[in-house]
Amino acid sequence: MEYLPDFDLLRPKTVDEALALRRENPEARLLAGGTDLIVNVRRGIVDPKAVIDINGIADLRTITSPDGGGLRIGAAVTLAELLEDRRISEDYPALCEAAAEVAAASHREVATLGGNLCLDTRCLYYNQSEWWRSANSYCLKHRGDVCHVAPSGKQCFAAFSGDLAPAVLVLGGTVEIAGPNGGRTVPLGEIYEDDGAAHLRLAEDEILTAVHLPAAPPGRSGYAKARVRAAIDFPLAGAAIALRQEGGVLEDLRVALTGTNSCPILIAGTDRLVGETVGEEVAEKLATMLPKQIQPMSSTFTPPGYRRKVVANLVRALFRHLTEAP
Amino acid sequence: MSTPDKKPMVGRRAPLVDGIEKVSGRAMYTADLDHRGALVGRILRSPHSHAELLGVDVSKARALPGVVAVITGDDCDKPYGILPIAQNEYPLARDRVRYRGEPVAAVAAVDQKTAEEALRLICLEVRELPAYYEAGKARQPGAVDLHDDRPGNLEREIHHEFGEVDAGLSAADVVREESYDCAEVTHVHMEPHAALADYDAERDRITLHSVTQVPFYVHLRVAQCLDMDESRIRVIKPFIGGGFGARTETLNFEIVACLLARAAKGKVRIKLSREETALTHRGRPRTGIKLKIGMTREGKLTACACEVEQTGGAYGGYGIVTILYAGALLNAIYDIPAVRYDGYRVYTNTPACGAMRGHGTVDVRHAFECLLDTMATELGLDPFKVRRLNLLEAPTRTINDLAVESYGLPECLDWIEAASGWNVRKGALPPNTGLGIACSHYVSGAAKPVHWTGEPHAVVNLKLDFDGGITILTGAADIGQGSSTILAQVVGEVLGLDFDRLTVIANDSRITPKDNGSYSSRVTFMVGNAALQAAERLKAVLVAAAARKLEAKPEDIECLGETYRVAGGQDSGIPFKDVVSEALVDTGTITVKGTFTVPREYQGGKFRGAGVGPSMAYSYSATAAEVSVDEVTGRVTVDKVWVAHDCGFAINPLSVEGQVQGAVWMGLGQALSEETRYVAGLPVGPNILDYRVPTIVESPDIEVKIVETLDPGGPFGAKEASEGALSSILPAIANAVHDATGIRLTETPLTPDRVMTALVKQERAAKQANSRGAA
Repeated sequence: MEYLPDFDLLRPKTVDEALALRRENPEARLLAGGTDLIVNVRRGIVDPKAVIDINGIADLRTITSPDGGGLRIGAAVTLAELLEDRRISEDYPALCEAAAEVAAASHREVATLGGNLCLDTRCLYYNQSEWWRSANSYCLKHRGDVCHVAPSGKQCFAAFSGDLAPAVLVLGGTVEIAGPNGGRTVPLGEIYEDDGAAHLRLAEDEILTAVHLPAAPPGRSGYAKARVRAAIDFPLAGAAIALRQEGGVLEDLRVALTGTNSCPILIAGTDRLVGETVGEEVAEKLATMLPKQIQPMSSTFTPPGYRRKVVANLVRALFRHLTEAP
Repeated sequence: MSTPDKKPMVGRRAPLVDGIEKVSGRAMYTADLDHRGALVGRILRSPHSHAELLGVDVSKARALPGVVAVITGDDCDKPYGILPIAQNEYPLARDRVRYRGEPVAAVAAVDQKTAEEALRLICLEVRELPAYYEAGKARQPGAVDLHDDRPGNLEREIHHEFGEVDAGLSAADVVREESYDCAEVTHVHMEPHAALADYDAERDRITLHSVTQVPFYVHLRVAQCLDMDESRIRVIKPFIGGGFGARTETLNFEIVACLLARAAKGKVRIKLSREETALTHRGRPRTGIKLKIGMTREGKLTACACEVEQTGGAYGGYGIVTILYAGALLNAIYDIPAVRYDGYRVYTNTPACGAMRGHGTVDVRHAFECLLDTMATELGLDPFKVRRLNLLEAPTRTINDLAVESYGLPECLDWIEAASGWNVRKGALPPNTGLGIACSHYVSGAAKPVHWTGEPHAVVNLKLDFDGGITILTGAADIGQGSSTILAQVVGEVLGLDFDRLTVIANDSRITPKDNGSYSSRVTFMVGNAALQAAERLKAVLVAAAARKLEAKPEDIECLGETYRVAGGQDSGIPFKDVVSEALVDTGTITVKGTFTVPREYQGGKFRGAGVGPSMAYSYSATAAEVSVDEVTGRVTVDKVWVAHDCGFAINPLSVEGQVQGAVWMGLGQALSEETRYVAGLPVGPNILDYRVPTIVESPDIEVKIVETLDPGGPFGAKEASEGALSSILPAIANAVHDATGIRLTETPLTPDRVMTALVKQERAAKQANSRGAA
């Protein structure tokens, strides 16, 4: 266990209070489950003067069914709570399957939806102790000027490793963001940038407060993940698919990936497969769309070639599974 | 001994004597001990892989308020190391640093924040040297030597040949050679390293609490490095959260804690992080194996030639022993008429490797069992048949002078064959699932101790006083393997007493007799034998007292534990407490001692290096593994493991099963997911997220069969139970993966990416063969 530095722990009761605290403490960090943040604090990657614990904000802790249909899930709802909610397991299986695959049971008791969507990007040169990174002259993502993954470039290739984002993407989810000038609601994909050092397009004084899932579409969805162990590990690659078919003909298809880039990737062009008859041929066409849209790098010690190959395998297998008779 | 109505103490599935403390959280581990008034000790670690150390400027750190002591290599000029012949390490580097993470300076401060700040203020002046992270690179001509007295960075090379190897290979119908590359692995004991050192400045004495498996060796090295008389030092081992070999030698932080305490004239506590624990390392080296086996068409082994190269890390440690074990234990499991072994232990700029469960034998056994399987498949022979054709017959002496007195491998094979349903299920499993088997063995205590002093290998004292309680005093370190429980069972069995009369006190050098420590699976066998002798001596004292009291001859006295009586008499006898009172008359507190020494004829042959490998007894294991391979991800799942282990006699079957299950887990990790890789000398995963120890989710259903062969030398016939099974796990899994998929991976671990690459290659080759066939 590395040394945990001192910081002020602030505990707002409302979103407005939290926003005010953010304004007053520009360098403060938000804390929900802490499974990502505290590890980074102990490693000296983050040295917050203040930490704003949002677990006391009731509005962030509930799952509600708005009048217009769909679901509103507070950002501080834990993954364990997500897994226990039948509305999610029945209508949004991809989200439920993704949540079940995150880390281990004890993490899921505290880790939250918002935390997983805003998970920091990961890299073997970055998720190390202060001593380790300092011995390696730091890296482009933090304190250094070289990306050890691609030393000649000027881009950080740390990989986005959240499991929930691809599920929310294929389910058409939007996120509610509170800020000093009121709120905004945007499609989840819009908060990400494919840049390992700055992958979140959220302003310092904004807070992601909830996810909205549209009324459950007819059809099926699922999530598949590749990792070395069947628990604990972040995804080497993960894939979510939502699709609808009628009489063997594809009516809707969305595919999103994680672990391959610095942000989750909603695969473009899947609409071109709508109208085709489901089967191996479509699965193959789908798999061939992937390589040009993803860029796994040597940010994990599992080689990028494997992650490229396995993500295509996952998509094929999941597509097959979702198009077979239930 | 026991009366029919009394449960025997040995052979009983007894919960561990210290189990209640552990499961209730009352057990105090080193980091939990009273550290009131203790300063926080922190270690500055080298950021350089290999560099001349020109200067260590600690002036700013010393000036920082709250800093009580700062020490550097200047504070200790005595090299240390576990082997008297290879002491080339300093607790804090002097003149040169040889790996990233090597301790360079240390600070004792009033709190952690101050200690961390002080470390930041220390400036190193260095001249970088070329660094080598792989054995091959370190051995290249022109490479800078890490140690001046070891040219070519060879710590030790070994060339042993027993029997006529070339003739044996010529006589074979089939000779196959294969190269294997087993990744470096580390122990990941649950409790990170910690030490608490208390220096009494007025009396110049030091008390060290540490996480060690070998308190005696720590005692010696602390005395050596602090240049203090051994009598001024007290070493205590509290509860230990695992060791697996990581703590079988004195580690730098233990000496640093003592140096800091003396410099600060007080108490210092050092708690290492998980990363620092990984950097302290002493794990299994990356091992390259080139193995050649000759076999007749029927499957009889004719000869074996094996070349091993170990990437040993920056310092000697146990290195010489590791490279010797790798060769010595090619023998004593099968009947091989001729064996050649060439071993190379190489210095590299990585944390020093050392002893790890199955010391030296695991990777070579993996290679051997895999190649045996490959050849059996090629010859169309059943893997069981090949092994059965090459069994030893005990008692026997191997070509390299190892004495095998008991040998339960045949029974182990029989059981796993039946339990796994081999004969009906092999070849009949669904696609991508498979069965594989492998065998292994291990010593029950190294017959030659690390330090040859002429003392017995083990000493146990028993104390019996007015209260009628028997205190078992032992220096054997219970590190979670349950050795204290075993000793209580042995003593209780001899005296016919149950646990409630017995208390084990272990590991306080002021109180308990010296013991060499918990390594080479020596405790049950050696310390168990010493306990057995001590108990018999105490029994003789009690029987004599009972005879006096009952006015009978000692040979007529029957000891029933809680009662002593005249054998065959009508009298109900006298209670134990009365016997004790009688025994104390005129003498008071009774202390008896038992010792054990391995007879000379078991201590090995006369050739150089013969001291490593000999043991009075060897355990034997056979494992069958059932796996499934996910074609989508390349991930291997072990669905079931059947493991039979010949431990001679199970003094505590519950404990034996636990140890064997633990060996399965450890083997599973090395087989499938664990590896330490370095980028420029920095370990990639010095944490338990990236260093992938299997979780309970990966744990297969494990069936353990205890095979009992009643070894003539072991206490009640017992042999070791903690290490032997491990070596059979990796190859059983690899052989099962071959059965499931047709691929043979020669690298460990069999991670999804390696499996996937092999599957793709196999698919491509099949396609090419098809298209050639079509053309």
